Amino acid sequence: MFAAAFFLFMAAFIIFILTLIISDIFYIDKKAVITVITSRFIRHALWMSIWTSFTTAFIALFFAVPIGYVLSRFRFPGHALADSIVDLPIVFPPLVAGLTLLVFFSQTALGRWIQEDLGLEFVFQPKGIVLCQFVAAASLAIRSAKTAFDDVDRRHENVALTLGCTRWGSFRRICLPLAWNGIIAGGILTWARAFGLFGPLMIFVGSFRGRTEVLSTTIFLEQSVGNLEVALAIALLLIFVALIAITVIRLIGGSATAKL
Amino acid sequence: MIRTEQISFRIGAFALQSVSCQIPNGQYFVLLGPPGSGKTIFLECLCGLKKIDSGRIYIDGREVTTLEPRARNIGYVPQDYALFPHLSVEQNIAFGLRVHGFGRKDVTARVTETADLLEIQHLLSRRIEGLSGGEKQRVALARALVLQPKVLLLDEPVCALDEATRQEVCAQLFRIQRKLGLTTIHVSHNLEEAFSVADRAAILHQGLLQQVDTLSDLLRRPNNEFVARFMRCENILCGEAVAQSAHSGDTKVKIGNIQLQLSGQHNGQVKFMIRPEDILILPGPDDSSCVVRRASCENLNAIRNAVPARLQRWRDCGSYVRIELVPPWRINLVAHMTHAAFAELKAKLQPDVIVVLHPENIHVLAKDSAYNE
Repeated sequence: MFAAAFFLFMAAFIIFILTLIISDIFYIDKKAVITVITSRFIRHALWMSIWTSFTTAFIALFFAVPIGYVLSRFRFPGHALADSIVDLPIVFPPLVAGLTLLVFFSQTALGRWIQEDLGLEFVFQPKGIVLCQFVAAASLAIRSAKTAFDDVDRRHENVALTLGCTRWGSFRRICLPLAWNGIIAGGILTWARAFGLFGPLMIFVGSFRGRTEVLSTTIFLEQSVGNLEVALAIALLLIFVALIAITVIRLIGGSATAKL
Repeated sequence: MIRTEQISFRIGAFALQSVSCQIPNGQYFVLLGPPGSGKTIFLECLCGLKKIDSGRIYIDGREVTTLEPRARNIGYVPQDYALFPHLSVEQNIAFGLRVHGFGRKDVTARVTETADLLEIQHLLSRRIEGLSGGEKQRVALARALVLQPKVLLLDEPVCALDEATRQEVCAQLFRIQRKLGLTTIHVSHNLEEAFSVADRAAILHQGLLQQVDTLSDLLRRPNNEFVARFMRCENILCGEAVAQSAHSGDTKVKIGNIQLQLSGQHNGQVKFMIRPEDILILPGPDDSSCVVRRASCENLNAIRNAVPARLQRWRDCGSYVRIELVPPWRINLVAHMTHAAFAELKAKLQPDVIVVLHPENIHVLAKDSAYNE
């Protein structure tokens, strides 16, 4: 009875989500599907969505592992503040991330120096998509990594130290493998957030056909000019790609997604 | 040999305070103390996992105070064993060897040798998950021993085990320690555990070493009240020294209306203890057949420190009988008797009895002093 009640909640949620997707499927027509398949711009947007989101997830993980470890293992003045700042982008309204980036690169000396003197252009550029996704989603990877490191008993590392490991060795051989599932789970969350990001991208990089357009902004553009069937067909494509990606990561990452 | 000189370490409100002790080669040393007394911190300081604030640590004649844990040649088994759950039993044992760059053949040979020693060959291919507590303990020990350390540090190694397994594992620990001649520090809060393995023991309380001695001396000659109570002595009394005999070297101490004779010269307030098993109980004076344990009524007057008392209650504690007695002073006495002796006493039992506190069995406690090497 107890399990049945809990299963009921799960079944209700899954049925609700599937109903939404199925209603989309019934809404679109053959012409919309053909448009999605044959459009060069939509293929480009799909490719942009895939590579930018995966690049963002990898960069986020690259930062998340050391930051998560520092926050988990060390106590230092300002620890609580640093911990809060790391979480800040999670609670940003999505538009704020885009606006903040735009203001930084167009209105501050440091931002202008990066763009103009260093030649690293982000505003309305494909590179800006990755930066925007990173700002909006990296906190999820860091938070997951910190939680994963918190779950690793420090005594495991201590024993490794007495068995001949250096600090780096005990981290690499013991802590990282034990936290791996949680870190991968954070990577999946980051990727998912980046893949579906819309608001900040519209502000910071715009949606230029064949240049900075990603699937989420394509959906917005299509529905804004009245192509609702095409917009929904792209949405289904996005869902399909997300489903494949999560399944593949689940298979590669083992039990990582159990943490999700 | 392990030697610590005045090591101090502070963490938050807790401080390990100038702990000095010396453990000779091949000795099985048990560090006792209640939870939170600093036993684990002391071990972690020895391992180098915590950097001490002051003092020096020597292992095998070499100062290791500033050395990294990996350079100290210590085998360490933490509480709950901290086995690596992502590795198999064999990989756990081989971990240290692989880190040290041993070749495949050497790794296999030493893992097999250590597994043979601990009788865990059949576990080598198993995952950590699913091992019993006793099996985990042996695997953790094997992982520490495979590197052939100079000293072995065991943090509550059997506390997670059931009573029967605990005794078996303690016997195995002792056998292995003797076989390898390892200098061993075994941290515990359990007296039975200490009695089953210790050559010598120490008691730590609030980061301060209270006494380092053989268990027999800790039991019968505790330094202070804390050690006496930790060693489960309930009879701690306090009296006023009233007279000293230069001839016998004894002191008379008044407690309530009774004067007790204590060995040695004492002044002022005297705190002393007598172990429950050292108290003699004789039937009351009007019992003509009273021959109980080592004393008899005929020579009652000749017995020093014979005190009238009332038998309050007794309880069967398994291997002994615990008897509570009301003496003519405020604090009750507790005596332990064997079942055989108690059966003999019970046959002639009256509420009024005579208790004998032999001066040789009374130990005067110092005023809460800490231990100094």
